[in-house]
Amino acid sequence: MATSAATIDSRLTAPGVAARGGAWVALAAGVLAAGLFNSDTAAYAITAAIYVLIGLSLNVILGYIGQMSLGHQGLMGSGALFAAYLSTAHGLPFAVDLVVAGVAGGVVAVLVGVVALRVRGLYLALVTLVVGITLQTSLFEVPSLTGGGAGEPANRPTLLLSNDRFYLVCVAVVIGALYLDTRLTGSKAGRAFLAIKEDERVAAAFGINVVGYKLLAFVLSGILAGVAGGLYAFSSEQFNGNNFSFLLALTFVLMTVVGGAGSRAGVVAGSVLFAVLQTFLANFFLFKDFTQLFPTNLSNNLLQFGPNLVAALLLLITLAVNPRGMAQQIEPVVAWMRGGPYRGADRSHAIREGISGRP
Amino acid sequence: MAVLETQELSISFGGLQALRDFSIQVNEWEIVGLIGPNGAGKTTAFNCITGFYKPDRGQVMHRGRDVTSLAPHQRVAVGFGRTFQNVGMVKTATALENLRTAQHIHAEYSAVAGILGSPESATTDRGLTERGEQLLDFLGLSAIRDTPVGSLPYGQMKLLELGCALATDPDILLLDEPSSGMGPEEAADLGRRLLTLRDEVGLTMLLIEHHVPLVTEVCDYVYVLNFGSLLTEGEPAAIQRHPAVIEAYLGSRHGRADS
Repeated sequence: MATSAATIDSRLTAPGVAARGGAWVALAAGVLAAGLFNSDTAAYAITAAIYVLIGLSLNVILGYIGQMSLGHQGLMGSGALFAAYLSTAHGLPFAVDLVVAGVAGGVVAVLVGVVALRVRGLYLALVTLVVGITLQTSLFEVPSLTGGGAGEPANRPTLLLSNDRFYLVCVAVVIGALYLDTRLTGSKAGRAFLAIKEDERVAAAFGINVVGYKLLAFVLSGILAGVAGGLYAFSSEQFNGNNFSFLLALTFVLMTVVGGAGSRAGVVAGSVLFAVLQTFLANFFLFKDFTQLFPTNLSNNLLQFGPNLVAALLLLITLAVNPRGMAQQIEPVVAWMRGGPYRGADRSHAIREGISGRP
Repeated sequence: MAVLETQELSISFGGLQALRDFSIQVNEWEIVGLIGPNGAGKTTAFNCITGFYKPDRGQVMHRGRDVTSLAPHQRVAVGFGRTFQNVGMVKTATALENLRTAQHIHAEYSAVAGILGSPESATTDRGLTERGEQLLDFLGLSAIRDTPVGSLPYGQMKLLELGCALATDPDILLLDEPSSGMGPEEAADLGRRLLTLRDEVGLTMLLIEHHVPLVTEVCDYVYVLNFGSLLTEGEPAAIQRHPAVIEAYLGSRHGRADS
């Protein structure tokens, strides 16, 4: 993904340019159409955009420096909490709330990062898990910040009251995040991250400050998660600590892995898929009224666990036959859209790298 | 003044004294060899010099400055470039990307400026690409510019790793078995390259090496390490005939039988 748009092959034929242009237009139209026709689908689309931000955030840690975080709901929740609190208790404007949400996520991530620098692997996963759960049961329960059991309201500004307008704001933030992510992987920070992920000794021998760059990865990830949390608070127009359970963190990790950790396009696709699973599919089961087809407790279970069941199946498929996740299928298409030739899913790459999900 | 000087470096792991009173000196424009049987502590000495291990005692001096307390990446900035025994590179990245990564300290823009996409960072990165291509050209590796490093033959990997160490723009180059995995011809070629680097670029080098013809061809001075202590030192030709060295490598009985 290090190649930039500037490397587009000048030998492209006119139909080639037209086809790629058409694909981009179709993609843009699809993104806009998802949010602009129907207020209900717009709500799903907003969730999808927020999930994409979280996916990109987690990708920095999981995909770029190869560490683990099971506490991203805590980072996201911190952003949501401060956005809601500042907007309701202090009447600060929407844009300021979002910035503070990002800062809050970044600060919490630094605190996690300082610990994280001393441990790795399983222990790091445990540390982040504990931080996430601790945040949920302590900070997110402080009544003066969170408005007690009812939750802290987070009212949207009048201009963004309609879902379709709010969706456009979310899309704008996602585009901004994608731009920064592209710059990240194309600049020295991205190269440093990859070196650290593969071998910290090599990174140090290349003159890279391993500790500093790990901390930077956590901060960047925290800022993104915080902003996503801020958007989430405004999208549901309230902050409620109960919404940030461990299950959410698990979903975030799943969508990043199924999408393809390390691949921007893959993670975006995985995040959208899981957002749809969590919202649309859940409602689809409801709409079909399974109560009439199955015994009551079975259908209730299906409602509750249906999306998770699909998620688990997707994870198994990823581990068994698709080690680089959805990215394995999507990357060739993205490469084509960026002006390169189409080369089908290149599995030899995965084999050469020795990547396998199999234990 | 010596480019690199170690004073009584000592380190032990548990009960094993891996290095004892290790004092060497590498002068400007010298290629110094560090030889010794397997397990003698050569790589441990390298790791102490480059900051990957913290010695229990002793100092590492660079041109008279004590660098013992500096972290590995800080020593790269001071001018210590190193390679590893088992190829230290980013294996999934291409040859050129590795050379760009290795120029990290010469990418003179802040990480945040790079992420925000400052025009200055783009210009700097173009410079890194050019320098990377020059290094590929110098090493005769231009053909593998866009090949992922992990899929290269071992000899080419070692050569490219030397390129990565050069990309850090070192004052002294520390090479851990640069000729391992190379055939005799490739090793001779490497020797010529090292001499070129010394004579034309003015580099100073310390190398761990097992390939005897290479040591005698390029080294100005040799230190012999055995069981963590320096056994002897001197010109390569004299070292080759030194009875203690023969004994260390081949065992005492063999040494007696030969003499």
